[in-house]
Amino acid sequence: MENQSSEKQIILEVKNIYMEFPGVKALTDFSFNLYNGEVHALIGENGAGKSTFIKVLSGAKIPNSGEIIIGREKHNSLTPHQARRLGIQTVYQEDILVPSITAAENIFLGVESSNSKKAFINYKQIFTEAKELAKLIGIKLKVDEIYERLSPSDQQFVKILKALAQKPKVLILDEPTQAFNKNDIGLVIEMVKKISQEGVGVIYIAHDLEEIIEVADRVTVLRDGVKINTHDKKTDIFDPNSLAKEMIGRSVDLFYKKKESSVGDYVFEVQGLKLTPKSTPVSFKVREGEILGVAGLKGSGRSEIARAIFGALRKYEGKIFYKGKDITPNSPIQAVRSGIALLTESKKIDGLFMGQPVSHNITAVGLDNIGRFFLNLNKEKRYSGDFVKKLNIKTPSLEREVKFLSGGNQQKVVIAKWLFKGINVLIVDEPTHGIDVNAKTEVYELFTELAASGKSIIMISSEMPELISLSDRIIVVRNFEISRELLKDEINEENILSGFMGGK
Amino acid sequence: MLNNKKDNLSDKELVSGSRKLGFLNNQISYLILVIVIIAVVASVINPNFLTLRNFLNVMQQISILGILTMCMSLLMISGGLDISIGNMAGLIAIIFARMLLAGISIFLGVIVALALGIFLGFINGVIIAKSKVTPLIITLGMSYVFLGIALIVGGGRPQTITGQFSFLGEAKIGGVVPVSIVIFFVIFLFAFFLRKYTKYGRRLNAIGGNSQAAFLSGINVDWHVISIYTLSGLIVGFTSLILVSRLGMVRADSGSDYALQALAAAIIGGITFEGGRGSLVGAFFGVVLLGFIYNAMNIIGVNSYVQTIVLGAIIVVATVISQLGVGRLRR
Repeated sequence: MENQSSEKQIILEVKNIYMEFPGVKALTDFSFNLYNGEVHALIGENGAGKSTFIKVLSGAKIPNSGEIIIGREKHNSLTPHQARRLGIQTVYQEDILVPSITAAENIFLGVESSNSKKAFINYKQIFTEAKELAKLIGIKLKVDEIYERLSPSDQQFVKILKALAQKPKVLILDEPTQAFNKNDIGLVIEMVKKISQEGVGVIYIAHDLEEIIEVADRVTVLRDGVKINTHDKKTDIFDPNSLAKEMIGRSVDLFYKKKESSVGDYVFEVQGLKLTPKSTPVSFKVREGEILGVAGLKGSGRSEIARAIFGALRKYEGKIFYKGKDITPNSPIQAVRSGIALLTESKKIDGLFMGQPVSHNITAVGLDNIGRFFLNLNKEKRYSGDFVKKLNIKTPSLEREVKFLSGGNQQKVVIAKWLFKGINVLIVDEPTHGIDVNAKTEVYELFTELAASGKSIIMISSEMPELISLSDRIIVVRNFEISRELLKDEINEENILSGFMGGK
Repeated sequence: MLNNKKDNLSDKELVSGSRKLGFLNNQISYLILVIVIIAVVASVINPNFLTLRNFLNVMQQISILGILTMCMSLLMISGGLDISIGNMAGLIAIIFARMLLAGISIFLGVIVALALGIFLGFINGVIIAKSKVTPLIITLGMSYVFLGIALIVGGGRPQTITGQFSFLGEAKIGGVVPVSIVIFFVIFLFAFFLRKYTKYGRRLNAIGGNSQAAFLSGINVDWHVISIYTLSGLIVGFTSLILVSRLGMVRADSGSDYALQALAAAIIGGITFEGGRGSLVGAFFGVVLLGFIYNAMNIIGVNSYVQTIVLGAIIVVATVISQLGVGRLRR
């Protein structure tokens, strides 16, 4: 990183970019600039044009027209090589590094230094250099650890360090906090601020408005490929509600207002669930039509407990009951048969068949509904079409492969998959992670409706507003045990946080 | 600027590629186009090419490969692969021939051959499903095991049973259409319907597309994997009967070449290593294309060594094209 003069100067300017895909205007007359040493956040709903814009900057996409000015150079478009030469580094969320080598090796892989000219790697030297780099931006990282053994958040740090090792002038971070739980996001924000203090201009993309407000010096709002506004922290007050309003073009409440519906008797029960011989047994009950919130930090065991209930993870001990009947599943096959559904956190990895049509995804679990042995493809079309309409899934056709849909619509497909099967108990793990504000509200409405129709929902979440506004009751999980139970009138942020810490 | 063009193109294809119109998607129309071009060129050079007799001849020649390609395609769609089907067919054929030579009735021999196919396919399936080791390695190893056993059973010598069992390989329905072609078509239709119109086929497709998601969707992944290898084994057992019948004389390695050719035909037809993709109609045309190329080269009089080179080159080109397609969609 070069320590440049403290005086702010524009290091990157983009003028009047137009970008069109068949049938879609991804960017219209978009202009943008970036000072050295500032964090400039880009916000907008999924499909607003953020990704297209950073792809233009990193050379992965060629705009139809417009100018990109960096330093003294003026370009109509960039190639990935040019982008790197001009000092633009992009850290994508889905970047893949080499899993089987150390963090430090990954960081310096392909970096032009005295090191790379030699045939042998000087491990000592790269470990020291990697450590220094990590220290400079204030993070702790085991640089000599094999990459795949690092936690998802440490892996994210490695990706960012790898970009920094190239000494960039412009650093683009695409949802850098996706791998982090809410409480560790502060670490990323601190780090990003340090990076910008070193004179690097940072373009920052994230969904969480609180996070944006904390980290950004300026915020540019995009909607449907058009720039709505750029706010400056110095002259403007950042307000989440008004930013959200600009993003979606109407006012929105970050706290969803749930329509209350009556809650029935206890129907679903987890009794004495132990994952290992030593763990404390977990027991809880859920009522008919109830949304039970499960709060807990990442690593608290909340996802593992959910998987164990579903039979996807071996349990040491414990029974599951539905309406008094022992339905303890030993595999997802049995769980699905008993009407339990699990929406995991990583829908791309274990919820969707990305290369297959929307309709096939929707009917994947409930194939029994469209045939005994042979499939009735007309029925499939009709039923999946109904779900697409009912859940407002935005797709050009039922034949569209799911990977081309936006995150929010993908999540709706996963939900449709289970609704089509017909379920009694729905376990959802981070149901709105990485989806935009509008889609979030739609998912909340769906859950509310489902609960009102008598389904029981167990909702694991890190999002406070979500937990607080949707849950009828909350259990807090800590160290693989329930540390606290909050009834409706006890639900507030303070109580949940104290549960995290082990307070009663 | 060159770069520019490429990028725009890929985006357009991305959109159109995913909007498949019926079963006639791009790859299949290309295959048909190539087949037509070969037919036109070959018939200009030698008018005998475009006769019904030659057409039936080609179809009969590819029927064994065609059936095995259907096995391979079903396996690949479910995320698997079986390199051992060739030597499995060879092994069963040798055992069947030995049994006939020992005076055992054809009926009993056929039953044993089919049972053996089921058994060997089942073993492959169980090892792959339970160990989670990549099917390529397991079936490559099993392929040698089958070859070795076949060499022992046959004593390393060819087994000749000329005339004892020729119906499947030589008989013609109405004196025109060879039985083996009919069998190929029946198995093709069976595989096509199984994949497209049954729950079983849809679940295979799901497992091939994302086995983790399939598991969490309550699909019995192991059972499906084992059963599709077993089904494939049964079809291989049946194919080995056609093999014996056609050749009249079998060696331990009589089936060896088929596995890789079936793999090649499936890939040419648009089936991918990724699983969950491609269509059996494509695989069908993949086999037909291979058959036409061979036949055209024969009729034109291409040296047989050169034919081997051409076959190899086609496999490379087809795989590269198919991989480019996948890569483009991934970007």
